[in-house]
Amino acid sequence: MRGLALPRSPKVILGLGILGFFIVMTVIGPWLAPYDPSSTAFPALLTPSSHHLLGTTSLGQDIFSQLLVGARATMVVALVAGLVATVLSMVVGVTAGYLGGVSDDGLTLLSNVFLAIPGVPLLIVIDSYLPVNSRSNEFVIGLIISLTGWAWGARVLRAQTLSLRNRDFVEAARIIGESRRRIMFSEIAPNLLPVLASSLLFTVLYSIGAYVTLAYIGLTSTATWNWGTMLYWAQANNAPLSNEWYWFIPPGICIALVGTGLALVNFGIDEFINPRLRAAGLTARQRRQLHLPRRARLGLTPVVSLAPAPNRRSTHAVVK
Amino acid sequence: MRTIARRLGLYLLTAWVAVTANFILPRLMPGNPVQTLIGKITSQVTPAEIRAIRLSFGMGFKEGIVAQYFTYLGQLFHGNLGVSITLGAPVSSILRESVPWTIGLIGVSTIVSFFVGTVAGAMLGWTRGSRFDSLIPTATFFQAIPYFFLGTVMLLIFGSDLHWFPVLGAYSQGATPGWNWSFIASVIRYGELPVISIILSSVAGWMLGMRNMMITMIGEDFVLMAVAKGLPRRKVIMHAARNAVLPSIANLSLAIGLVVSGALLVELVFNYPGVGDLLLQAVLNEDYPLIQGIFLVITFTVLAANLLADVVYLVLDPRTRSEAAV
Amino acid sequence: MSATIPREVQSTAAEGGRASTGPVRDGAIRESVLEINHFSVDYGAGENMVRAVSDVTLRLERSRVLGIAGESGSGKSTLVYAMTRLLRSPGLISGGEVILHVTDEGGAVTPVNLVTATESELRRVRWSHVSIVLQSALSALNPVLRIGREFDEVLKTHRPNLTKAQRRARAEELLRMVGLSGDRLERFPHELSGGQRQRVMIAVALALDPELVVMDEPTTALDVVTQREIIGELSTLRAQFGFAMIFITHDLSLLVELADEIAVMYAGSIVERAGARELYESPRHPYTLGLLNSFPPLHGERRELTGIPGTPPDLADPPTGCSFAPRCAFAMERCVLEKPTLVEVDDTGRSVACWLFDDASGSRVPVELSRVAPRAEAPKGGS
Repeated sequence: MRGLALPRSPKVILGLGILGFFIVMTVIGPWLAPYDPSSTAFPALLTPSSHHLLGTTSLGQDIFSQLLVGARATMVVALVAGLVATVLSMVVGVTAGYLGGVSDDGLTLLSNVFLAIPGVPLLIVIDSYLPVNSRSNEFVIGLIISLTGWAWGARVLRAQTLSLRNRDFVEAARIIGESRRRIMFSEIAPNLLPVLASSLLFTVLYSIGAYVTLAYIGLTSTATWNWGTMLYWAQANNAPLSNEWYWFIPPGICIALVGTGLALVNFGIDEFINPRLRAAGLTARQRRQLHLPRRARLGLTPVVSLAPAPNRRSTHAVVK
Repeated sequence: MRTIARRLGLYLLTAWVAVTANFILPRLMPGNPVQTLIGKITSQVTPAEIRAIRLSFGMGFKEGIVAQYFTYLGQLFHGNLGVSITLGAPVSSILRESVPWTIGLIGVSTIVSFFVGTVAGAMLGWTRGSRFDSLIPTATFFQAIPYFFLGTVMLLIFGSDLHWFPVLGAYSQGATPGWNWSFIASVIRYGELPVISIILSSVAGWMLGMRNMMITMIGEDFVLMAVAKGLPRRKVIMHAARNAVLPSIANLSLAIGLVVSGALLVELVFNYPGVGDLLLQAVLNEDYPLIQGIFLVITFTVLAANLLADVVYLVLDPRTRSEAAV
Repeated sequence: MSATIPREVQSTAAEGGRASTGPVRDGAIRESVLEINHFSVDYGAGENMVRAVSDVTLRLERSRVLGIAGESGSGKSTLVYAMTRLLRSPGLISGGEVILHVTDEGGAVTPVNLVTATESELRRVRWSHVSIVLQSALSALNPVLRIGREFDEVLKTHRPNLTKAQRRARAEELLRMVGLSGDRLERFPHELSGGQRQRVMIAVALALDPELVVMDEPTTALDVVTQREIIGELSTLRAQFGFAMIFITHDLSLLVELADEIAVMYAGSIVERAGARELYESPRHPYTLGLLNSFPPLHGERRELTGIPGTPPDLADPPTGCSFAPRCAFAMERCVLEKPTLVEVDDTGRSVACWLFDDASGSRVPVELSRVAPRAEAPKGGS
């Protein structure tokens, strides 16, 4: 069994830092918010100042408070959807890969159908039929998003299970006579961890995009604050064209930053899964010390002279 | 050919699932779907509108659910998608107006984005470790920006602020639609900013995917052999890239859906008269026949694009070809 | 050409005059095609550095076959990849030189030091003068290109004067040489059998009539029958075209069929180097003996298969003395303390790195390692 030891590259550390920041914001954001985000007690369209860090909306609401409060709904939906979709994809993908045969064919067909249907348009159709009180419920929205976002993970997990199934340790467990369920969950599942983690990151990324999109076109309750509804109101009041950048830029940047964080961490997982993506052997500092070129070039094995050779008599090495 | 037949089968099945979902969804809601819908429409409902809603769901008055289903399929088969509640016109004729705009906009930007991203990704993979690596975090950031947000920012900076590009709409008011040069030129001019913004949003995904595949391929023996053969660098890169592009194309089916979803919203930002803009109007007005019609059209188009990607893959990978021959 | 070294300097720089001219079995000193001097290769640098090839000196004469044998991890593949500058990162050449004597079309011979050569110099030498066949032809052939392209691109790059029809004719001729029909050119790699693919690779390797062909375990992935056939074909082709060959394998009994001389590698160093027959009939190094007892001979008398107990040493933390000592049945106290160097032990040009053969050790050579070498027979193949 191998755990998931992420390589400590700057990319991964930056990614984890960004995600950590937004997770803290999700937890304590609503408490930190200086005002009620829906309160219209302030003058409209104030530009950013020390009282209103990001100014106010055309209704006189404090944008900074909306941003802090909105973090929670956005992140909760993304997490719920990401987790549910990952569980779904694990159940479908691992079962299909492990059982094989007719169940595999059926489940693979199912995930292929869901992959081929464009998710967001389907989401819009489903969501447009929802009663308004369900639209404001983050968990309902999260569940529906997960329904359209599990198929990709299922496909990747199935492929990984298939390759794990025939490895020695699984074979051994089978010969010992362990039950299928036990093999699946205690032998195969831990080895799926990196793939699972990567598919979780992707579905969370997809879910944020999907949720924000729904909110932006007005298909979530406009009374719930999330980054998508902020953009919806900004757009509805022509903020972009009226140069009220402080209204629509911050939520967009937050969405992009969360996505960047997820993608950066995923780089680390990719490198863990595929060793060829890892920076090979020499650190940049060692390369400099050895006077080697910055990048390794195929078919031009570098030559160094600093390493002591056991027999230096005719070792005439060349430094380029 | 067998591979293509199998994929075609999958897409037909998917189309059927989409069509059926369209039929079932309204019925999953509590109560009579027609009544529910009428209840949702806040304005006065005319008998013609009620009829339009009924037609779009394939609902006669006394039929059972199976008969309703077949009526619905029959209507669909004849291209009858019902009548739009708000616009009063048949959904199919409304779509005939807007679909070409969408296919043009998204098609051009997707193709350009795929090529640019693939070439850039191949170079990035080949020169891994060089200065160009610093492009990766920037690309990752761009990949994470929602399409519609980037579109909005672009519109603001390059359209309303700098006036480099015309904003809003697909062609200038002065041009008469038709196959005349001034109209085509105006369409291109108005298309530039939306196309650029879709490319900017989607190119990083292709690029990063291609980079990773390229790095994986460079680790293969046949690329080392190309070097050992003393081939010029350009040819060595081609050996790796020719194989690295295959997974990108295989992933098109996943990506097309996402790109289309994102790009639809860009239409909305730019007031582009395509399906995306129409969808927003339909959603705002709770025009269900129109929403459903748009969903089906988008699904069918995406499936057709998938099939096209499958054919391209088949042409590029001889292994699947001979598998089909066996 | 950069950093070329006069041949006189070469031979004096190498240890012992004998070693540099190789076994003089037919009484003539042949021209060398490849000289490797004090060549070392590392993986990584600093604390994590691993010395994979350590101070290797070898010489290969024109039209002859040098076998390099050893277990996996012995550094034999690293040696040949690094020697051709094809070794991937984090491989580094940390010392020594590799002189390839390149014969141009006019017949003039120029020595090229591959270690100091620039990229464009390497590109000129590659395939025209030294080509490579890898273990797995399936991974060495581009899966999406037809076989014909493999020949075509090589000929197009290095023989720009040939017309398309001439290139095609040459490719068909090459395929015929390895016993395949010309219509294979239209096929894709996955449509051929393992043996056919490896034959294609050999044909591609011979396309430009190189002086040296490096074979990295070319038959390991094949079944025994195909293995035999290909070894037979290689002998014929070599007799016909006179290229020199470095043949890497872990199977000594295979090498003895093909090679003129064999170098046995262990933990990055050469532990024994001798004429193929001598080495096979009368191994001197305990490791060579162990290797011989690990594989059944292709034909001839059967040996008892015993294998070698233990595993190769961790190269990241090599033992102080002889790296084989922990696994050696004949190890003495000295073996653990001091690292033996390769020295000549008899008049056949054989060298061994083992304290058992050092008079100062005061040890008696065990009976298994003191079989009488057969007197030199007529050399095989070549000129």
